[in-house]
Amino acid sequence: MPSHVLDISRLSKLYGKTIGIEDVSFTLDEGEIFGFIGPNGAGKSTTIRILLNLIFPSGGTAKIMGMDVIKDSKKIKKITGYIPSDANAYPYMTVNEFLNYCMRFYGQKNGNGRRNELAEIFDLDLKKKISDLSFGNRRKVSIVQSLQHNPLFLIMDEPTTGLDPLIQSRFFDLIREENKKGMTLFFSSHILSEIQLLCKRVAIIKDGKIANLEDIESLRRKQLKKIKIWPGEINHSVFLTIPGIEGDVTRAGDMLSFMYSGDINDLVRLLSVKKIANLTIEEPSLEEIFMHYYN
Amino acid sequence: MNMNLFFREMRRNAMGLLLWMAVITLLISVTMSMYRTFIDNQSKVLGMMNLIPKGALQFKGVSNFNDLFSVMGFYAVNNVIYMMVLGSIYAIVLSSNILLKEEYGKTADFLLSWPLSRSDIFFGKLAVFTLNVFLLNLVTVVAGFISIEIVKTGPFSIKPFLVLSLYTFLLNFLFGAIGLFISTLIRKPKAITTFSIGLVLIMYFIFTLSKITESASDLGYLSPFKYVNTEAMKPGYGLEPWRVLFFAGLSALLLVFSFRIYRRKDIYL
Repeated sequence: MPSHVLDISRLSKLYGKTIGIEDVSFTLDEGEIFGFIGPNGAGKSTTIRILLNLIFPSGGTAKIMGMDVIKDSKKIKKITGYIPSDANAYPYMTVNEFLNYCMRFYGQKNGNGRRNELAEIFDLDLKKKISDLSFGNRRKVSIVQSLQHNPLFLIMDEPTTGLDPLIQSRFFDLIREENKKGMTLFFSSHILSEIQLLCKRVAIIKDGKIANLEDIESLRRKQLKKIKIWPGEINHSVFLTIPGIEGDVTRAGDMLSFMYSGDINDLVRLLSVKKIANLTIEEPSLEEIFMHYYN
Repeated sequence: MNMNLFFREMRRNAMGLLLWMAVITLLISVTMSMYRTFIDNQSKVLGMMNLIPKGALQFKGVSNFNDLFSVMGFYAVNNVIYMMVLGSIYAIVLSSNILLKEEYGKTADFLLSWPLSRSDIFFGKLAVFTLNVFLLNLVTVVAGFISIEIVKTGPFSIKPFLVLSLYTFLLNFLFGAIGLFISTLIRKPKAITTFSIGLVLIMYFIFTLSKITESASDLGYLSPFKYVNTEAMKPGYGLEPWRVLFFAGLSALLLVFSFRIYRRKDIYL
């Protein structure tokens, strides 16, 4: 039994001289919901396309359930589901025809009733022609096709795009339920709140490289503090050289703000000898922590 | 080969195939129906033909005007246009799109995420293409044969007819292999259909030019049309192994290269 459901090691993809991803490494344990977050163009889809053998890596390896994503691609796909970010189902088919077509590749004829359950959850009309469906309904088709064969591992690339809030909520409930039953999930998104809602661990990808990889809770507990200082009469430049400042000091009116990663006692001691007008020390939001890593 | 993919693709292409069958069959039937009138006005036609430079008809496989008045000669001349050119256009358009349409139709992300290897997809689609081209040839050959049987005024030898039909199939298939090969190299697939049709027409133009212009006769070897022996009325007309080897060998080579490229091709939407 392989120790990890997904094991990516030093994975790279070059497009000529442009870097798609570089030296990406991380693992997923069985039963985990893993978040993969980054802005558009950061390398999320490139990583996923390598896992599905849609594109070939320039270097490194990736294994799913101990099987190589290139050599054992067909075996892997038998136990994997995938919700693509931007794909079309065959427009000339009805939803049912499309889902049947998909199921026959798994050696099953009609999804053992699972399809009907999923269609009901998402209010999906199976008799409609795919070309007649709205964007949101096409996303539902995509979700149903990814789950109807009961995969052990589900890869999702921006799965909630185009879904209304009610359907999004049903989708998240379904994901949690599948996870409880043992499904491992890889959730790629640029929407932090989604990741926060579902995932325990997250990898932040930036410019094709993993910028950070850790528990959501650990991220929250990071020693990062958000400091706001109203300097009053004191020259602003004094505050720019405080040791422990992370990133830039921003100014809004007569207030300065910055992220601080040093010992908070040192900062308070330093500020206590200066006559400042006001000071606030806050826990940064997860969004701000992520933005800190992005920048 | 995956039968699920094969049957779905056959169904998907059925309407197009039927349409092409109908159009070519109609063209052959209508043309062959004029044969009797052509024969009845033999002396007038011959008079007109003598005004046309001989080379202008040579490219259609007519080395002697009198050949045109035999039913096989009449069929062969028109077959060049209908089945060789139109059949090749059908084959190249079908093959150049059969893999690529999954990319520009944005369906590749689904197809390639299902338990199918690249070999399953390639050989499934190749089988569909081969069967479609074969069926188009079969139906039009049958239509041609029936037309000939109906309009013939004298004896008709089946052998040249079958040999010409086999050359036609080999030519169509070669153009299909060229289309498939080009499609595995292309990243931006939007213009593939126009490009494919253009390629067949350019090859036919080169072949025509080489037949009617002596100085351009070597140029003809660049065109697959040159390797078909259309002179079905010549005594001893039959299958020449080097020609068959040329078509089969080049097609096989192109298919092997296509498969090797497709197996490692990055698929983007």
